[in-house]
Amino acid sequence: MLPVIQFSDVVKIYPLKAGDVTALDHISFEVERGEFISIMGPSGSGKSTLLNLMGCLDTPTTGDIFMSGIGVRDMSDVELTNLRRDRIGFIFQYFNLFPLLNIIENVSFPQMLKSQKSVDPKKAIEVLHSVQLEEGLYTHTPLELSGGQQQRVAIARALINDPDILLCDEPTGNLDSKTGANILELMTELNRKGSTIIVVTHDSNVASYTSRTIRIVDGRIAA
Amino acid sequence: MSTIFWEISKRNIRIHMLRSSLAMLGIIIGVVAIGAMGILGNSMTQEISSSLSSVGDSVIVTPYSGGGGFGGGGGGSGSSANLMLTDQNYQQIKRAVAPNVAIPILSTSEHMKVGVGSDDIVATIYGIPTNQEKDLLPDLEAGDYNNENSGCLVGSTFAADHHIQVGSRISIGTDGQYGTLRVTGIIKERGMSFDISTDSALVVTKEWYQNTYNTQNVYNEVVVKVTSGDTATVKTIIENQLNRNIKEKTVSVTDSKATLATIYSTFGTVTTFVTAIGGISMVVAGVSIFNILMMSVNERIKEIGIMRSIGTQKKEVMSMFIYESAIIGVIGSLIGGIICILAGYAVSALMLGTTKYLFTVATMTSVVEGVGFGIIVCLLCGVYPAWLAANLNPIDALRHE
Repeated sequence: MLPVIQFSDVVKIYPLKAGDVTALDHISFEVERGEFISIMGPSGSGKSTLLNLMGCLDTPTTGDIFMSGIGVRDMSDVELTNLRRDRIGFIFQYFNLFPLLNIIENVSFPQMLKSQKSVDPKKAIEVLHSVQLEEGLYTHTPLELSGGQQQRVAIARALINDPDILLCDEPTGNLDSKTGANILELMTELNRKGSTIIVVTHDSNVASYTSRTIRIVDGRIAA
Repeated sequence: MSTIFWEISKRNIRIHMLRSSLAMLGIIIGVVAIGAMGILGNSMTQEISSSLSSVGDSVIVTPYSGGGGFGGGGGGSGSSANLMLTDQNYQQIKRAVAPNVAIPILSTSEHMKVGVGSDDIVATIYGIPTNQEKDLLPDLEAGDYNNENSGCLVGSTFAADHHIQVGSRISIGTDGQYGTLRVTGIIKERGMSFDISTDSALVVTKEWYQNTYNTQNVYNEVVVKVTSGDTATVKTIIENQLNRNIKEKTVSVTDSKATLATIYSTFGTVTTFVTAIGGISMVVAGVSIFNILMMSVNERIKEIGIMRSIGTQKKEVMSMFIYESAIIGVIGSLIGGIICILAGYAVSALMLGTTKYLFTVATMTSVVEGVGFGIIVCLLCGVYPAWLAANLNPIDALRHE
């Protein structure tokens, strides 16, 4: 089976007036389907750049990235956007839900992008059940929910299109330790059911939930 | 799919109701300014047009007096031979314009009384050949054309003002010195006219006029009713025939159609000008919409970043802001259109004294144009902010605080 993500000798250089900055320097790794991986590293090590490349928000300067075997380097903006919509689920530190939409609408949003029409909320309700959010909250707006509840909604939104991979950027960074632990338990449960999850974190406790850790130092994978 | 972006746009307008309403107010003012000016201009044009309805296709020939312009219709003393057309002139005109009809007109102002002991009235008397009355005045309100020397036709306004009916008698001249005329018919209202203005006048036979005022073989003007060819050609033919001597012209020739076209063109220019002034307020409203959408984009940079990161296409982000400007534009413009009709009603009633031209195609077109312009301005002003939002770098947008 093809790896969900494959980085092959990836270099990312940001051209700046003061001089080029090499954020990633010849990175190669693979993520197999069903893995639960953490990416750790100090500030400025290249974690965010790596996350942006894995999330198809950016393309490498040199080298190749394959998402389930599909090369992304020469993809157009439209193709990259479709790839993000169909194959990647994003989970952010600050939840990043849409305040103008209620919970069901927030979760259905990527589904509507994919189907290009209004959708039956049945699947959104199913996914919200799977992330253990109380049913009474479904018609509330995000700002009426606690941080933990919002993050559950964000996870549900990330899962709605059955992505190949969940990319999590400090998913517990804005939660208290108990709620954070609950969210990590939920992610572990999702991984056990087959989801491929990559978590970018500073927190070694978060990394302890994962089966493998990739450490980045100065744009390179540390041995 | 667009349903969700439509929904987001609606909700965004709702939560920023005050600023959205202010933007709408700008559009409403713009539409009202354009539409009301258009209504007024078109109503005025139609009012003038109806007043000049009887002009038709005619060419008016008057004695050359050194200046241009149209000189007929007003009457005059008729006593100065050098300001009269001769019978020779008339015959030349008649031959030149054949098969079109050339009607010689005599006119003067005269004192008269309607009934015994009534007040002295001063009105214009026109003398027209009996057999050509019908050509010049095809519509009668009542009665029949006068076939007798002592008969006359009166204008509708004259008849109404002095309670004249068919059969009434009018004594002509101070103390009735020129005898009495019997009214045989009342001429239908003709409004303002280039040839003769009969609404407040009397029309008598040419013979009665010539015998009474002793004016043989001279005329104040000749009206050519153009039924064959066009008025411009007939005008040229007459000028070529009678004004051969460029230094000493004999006649002034007025093409009623060309004069009418000039009047309409002038009114059109005035209407366009005042509407353009109204358009300035629309431009201001457009700037306000632009400003509001730019604010909206700036406030929602992070939201746009999230949308883009989870798979929203650029065109979908763009549509969200275009919907927003369209909602403001359509609602504002429609409200403006309704107010515009009410304002146009009030302005027409106050300035023209009538609202009968309000619901005509030409007038309503100016309202539709105002509404359409409002919507187009809103959409255009939404394009750049929407484009800006759609082309934000998703990574930078996500980092935005």
